[in-house]
Amino acid sequence: MKARVFPLAGAALLFVGIVGVGLLFETIQGGSAAERLVTAMFINAIIVVGIQIYIGNTGVFSFGHIGFAAIAGYAFALFAIDPSDKAGRIADAPFGLADVSASVPVAVLIAVVVSVVIAAIVGIGLARSGAQSGAIAATVITLALLFVTHEVARSWSDVTGGERAGLTFGIGETLDGRVAVYGALFASLAIALLFARSGSGRLAKAGREDALAARAMGIDPRVQQTIALLLSVAVVAVGASLRVYEVGSIQPGQFFFDYTLLTLVMLVVGGRNSVTGAVVGVVTITFVRELARRLGSEGFEVFGLGLDGVPLDWVFREGLPRVVLGLAMVGFMIWRSKGMLDDWELDEWLRRRFTSDQEAPMPAEAHSGTAASNQLVARDVIVDFGGFRALNGAEMAASSGEVVGLIGPNGAGKTTLVNVITGMVPPTSGVVALDGQQGEIDLTSAAPYKVARAGLVRTFQNLRLFSSLTVLENVEVSKLVAESHRPSERDVGAEELVAAAGLWEHRDRRASELDYGNSRRLELARAAAMNPDFLLLDEPTSGMSDSESLNMVEHVRGMAELVGAGVVVIDHDLQFIVGICDRVYCLDQGSVIAEGTPDEIQADPAVQAAYLGSAANT
Amino acid sequence: MLLEVDNLTTQYGSIAALRSVSLTVAEGELIGLIGPNGAGKTTLLNTVAGLLEPATGSVRFKGEDVTGRAPDAMLRAGVALVPEHRRIFVDLTVVENLRIGGVTVPAKEREPLLDEMAELFPVLRDKWTTQAGFLSGGEAQQLAIARALMSRPQLLMMDEPSLGLAPILVDVVFDLIVKLRDQGRTLVVVEQNAARMLEVADRAYVLRSGELVVEGTGAELGARDDLFKTFVAGGDA
Amino acid sequence: MTSLLQNLIDGLGQGSIYALLALGVAVIFGVMHLLNFAHGELITVSGYAAVAAFGSNLSWWLVAPLIIVVSIVTSLVIERVAFSRVRGASEFTQLLTSFGIHIIVSAVLIMSVGASVKTFAEPPWIFDRIDVGPLSLEKFDLLVIAVTAVTLAATTWLLQRTTFGLSLRAAAADFDTARLMGVDSDRVIRGAFALSGALAGVAGIFWLMRAGNTDPSAGIDPMLKGVLAALIGGLGSLRGAVLGGLALGVAEVLLRSQLPSSVAVLTDAVVFGLIAFLFIFRPQGLITVQHAERV
Repeated sequence: MKARVFPLAGAALLFVGIVGVGLLFETIQGGSAAERLVTAMFINAIIVVGIQIYIGNTGVFSFGHIGFAAIAGYAFALFAIDPSDKAGRIADAPFGLADVSASVPVAVLIAVVVSVVIAAIVGIGLARSGAQSGAIAATVITLALLFVTHEVARSWSDVTGGERAGLTFGIGETLDGRVAVYGALFASLAIALLFARSGSGRLAKAGREDALAARAMGIDPRVQQTIALLLSVAVVAVGASLRVYEVGSIQPGQFFFDYTLLTLVMLVVGGRNSVTGAVVGVVTITFVRELARRLGSEGFEVFGLGLDGVPLDWVFREGLPRVVLGLAMVGFMIWRSKGMLDDWELDEWLRRRFTSDQEAPMPAEAHSGTAASNQLVARDVIVDFGGFRALNGAEMAASSGEVVGLIGPNGAGKTTLVNVITGMVPPTSGVVALDGQQGEIDLTSAAPYKVARAGLVRTFQNLRLFSSLTVLENVEVSKLVAESHRPSERDVGAEELVAAAGLWEHRDRRASELDYGNSRRLELARAAAMNPDFLLLDEPTSGMSDSESLNMVEHVRGMAELVGAGVVVIDHDLQFIVGICDRVYCLDQGSVIAEGTPDEIQADPAVQAAYLGSAANT
Repeated sequence: MLLEVDNLTTQYGSIAALRSVSLTVAEGELIGLIGPNGAGKTTLLNTVAGLLEPATGSVRFKGEDVTGRAPDAMLRAGVALVPEHRRIFVDLTVVENLRIGGVTVPAKEREPLLDEMAELFPVLRDKWTTQAGFLSGGEAQQLAIARALMSRPQLLMMDEPSLGLAPILVDVVFDLIVKLRDQGRTLVVVEQNAARMLEVADRAYVLRSGELVVEGTGAELGARDDLFKTFVAGGDA
Repeated sequence: MTSLLQNLIDGLGQGSIYALLALGVAVIFGVMHLLNFAHGELITVSGYAAVAAFGSNLSWWLVAPLIIVVSIVTSLVIERVAFSRVRGASEFTQLLTSFGIHIIVSAVLIMSVGASVKTFAEPPWIFDRIDVGPLSLEKFDLLVIAVTAVTLAATTWLLQRTTFGLSLRAAAADFDTARLMGVDSDRVIRGAFALSGALAGVAGIFWLMRAGNTDPSAGIDPMLKGVLAALIGGLGSLRGAVLGGLALGVAEVLLRSQLPSSVAVLTDAVVFGLIAFLFIFRPQGLITVQHAERV
């Protein structure tokens, strides 16, 4: 319950802020035009916050949300407009749509359901294509969706009233009073902030930051993306219904390119990764655009300010607001592509401001006693990349409580072997099997997130943290996955792990602000939070000085004991390997050429030859 | 001195991949750069070639300060790099790859250079119009080297030319390095095959964790029996 | 059978224009990973240049080359003013920049010449038909197909035989390595925009001939067709873009003539929907051009 206090307080403050600005403007300006502008701003805020839920949490750009808005808008209009008003326009509508009617709240509900159902279908496609070929393909699908809805709205005049006429409410039937708008605005802010802090929202953000690392932590980003999409479309649908109700009619052009453009500029200028940013963007763009509109239509006198004598009349014309929007978009992309606020969020700021400094939790005791007897085996692994055989019958085995090293010269296939074990590279042939907490499982060619849930969790050679999430959030994300997929009777909390990694004082900093050694320790803590059976570490000391890598020996051992995991470690640093490993495999040219204790391996002439090369023509 | 690298430091974000490295290359020398994975050898070559911007330090080529120049400007100055993993253009034919290598050479002089490469790399001559993606590993490596030679560089740098090659092809690559040296070219070669490299190098530098730990002539270093320790285990040098 | 052949030729006429547009989109995407939503603006701006030229009583014979020149210059100016500043930024940053340029160009046109539609005379022969056996072919389609064939041949020559073309292909395959080989990145990118502008110019001639008018938002439709066709072909693949454009044109004509008339007005919706649907199953593009194996 306590976790929800700050998002709700944040939503309340944002609500008070935007409503306050709107009412202030109304009081100063007076008149019905100002009133309409402010109402439109509130409704735009609902829609932009709705879009932010998707774009901000998943990082996938959608041009299609206004398409969903159009679907919702028509669904709302079809049910909310009195049959007598529809009779003239769409008397021939199929399914008896000309005769249906519902109260306004019910019509909004129908609009939400219809658009969410369609979003669910589209969402399956987005998830599929996004997973396979990155976000650009998903973006294009959403763009195509926008055009499909527009074409259908234009052409299916039996239902939509066609291009020009559209559907119109009777006189006096439209929105009067703002109670509904206020309610929806507050609700959308609260939903957006609560979702951003929820488990699902945080998992989605992990996927946004680094999809590959997210999958390696047992997250299936497709699921989180779909949840974000549905929630986002529901909020947008409410906003769209209100927009139709406020205007009193709907035509295809109302929810098309221009409106997509307006809402996207608002979101991008304010900061797409933050709900606060979305609100700030809506307010800023609304007033800048209004200023431009007045300059364009009224010329030199705006808000009582005279600009006589300035030879700028060629600028102050129709079209000026559009130019301003375009310049805002291009300007922000060039100079500040993450928008005014980037990912600064009001509720987070409140939380930091009003929670007293916590003591670092006591370091947890090492996992002891119940020595697990997990086994990891990879056998006869062959991997061909095109014509190149990266692994040629490689094998390795590890059991819990053991630290196993993989060494070998550059290009020997160490990382490829770890990639095969963790599901990132499908082997041409061979077997990967785990006998762990969840019994005996064949993991050959399993999806990475399934491998992680089964208990094999890895780190990466080139550090893949969720860089704009905080240190604590990085670890919490794994903990969330562990809670649902790897329950353990002896759970080490995220905060304890952060403390154990020596990062307690940095817990609220972004991961990208950490120095190198701390980043490595965070990556390890994040992997340990998964309650793994085995940790697979790819070059945990690369880029470290000799003394730093010696410290890593204790650190890796400590973390592994804390969560009771076995360790498989790749490293080039033999000093580190000798210090930490119980047993070592040496790979060369894709096969194991030696196996033994670190001392045996170091003395093995085959190993020395693999590392140093042999003299000519052996 | 042809190339003088002075106190060069290069960072990836907060990671110093190269810490204050200095080295010199004289005209006609064959220099070996050896050291374990992650020692900063590739970073060093990439920084000299202009692909990475150094944080501090300077690079001088033929006496002129060229620190931080773009890669195409470095190539025009006379420094060519055969990059790690070869990076040949797999969708282009062999001869097109070579022509790209000679893009800075006036068109008239390019054809004779192609003939020269055909002579130096007989395996490539038979595959002139084959898509480079269909070459074997050894052929691809030779193409990568030939492509770099097309710009008539005064300094040729190679990054792990024997990586991923079968032993017999490693021989071919080393023979080629020696041949190029004998032609009077100046070469800097990063190699994992330290023993072979030290056999042929005039001088060599050993890097570890981004720092220079030892330098000496190839023969001196090759004779040290603690080389393995120095090289991988980081014992005192 | 005859009607199918008829549709096929009509479709190729339409598809040729799309192919030229798609090729321009693909060239830019290949070199700098920019999905250019401002590509259609080249046609919008050329359209207004054509309006001005017709105002001075120039004939189509003079206006056609003018369109190409205006398109190339516009393309280069846009690159210089905006895209050069987001080079190397994320795909979305570049894409939104191009989106912003689309807005600015249309808005500036509204400000300077107004939002109304400007018309001009189509060439008198545009609807003439030639009967070949049972087929009745539009002269216009045949001209488009012929000019497109010549343009594609010239582009192929440029890409295959010239140093610039080679540099462009190398840069598209691996930008860093191309720079290591001495390819000047500014020159190759400017060249790509010039080429993209020239291709859009040729497409623009026919697009404008057919439309007989232009307005500030006239660029949306050609942009969309070009981008979608390039995507059908697998972004960045030049051959794919051409095939994607032709396929899109043929699909449109077939749908329009084969669908029952009540649904035929929805051709665009059906095509977009089909593309979106197909992307779900083949997001890497519907046509995949054979690549050599990477060693």
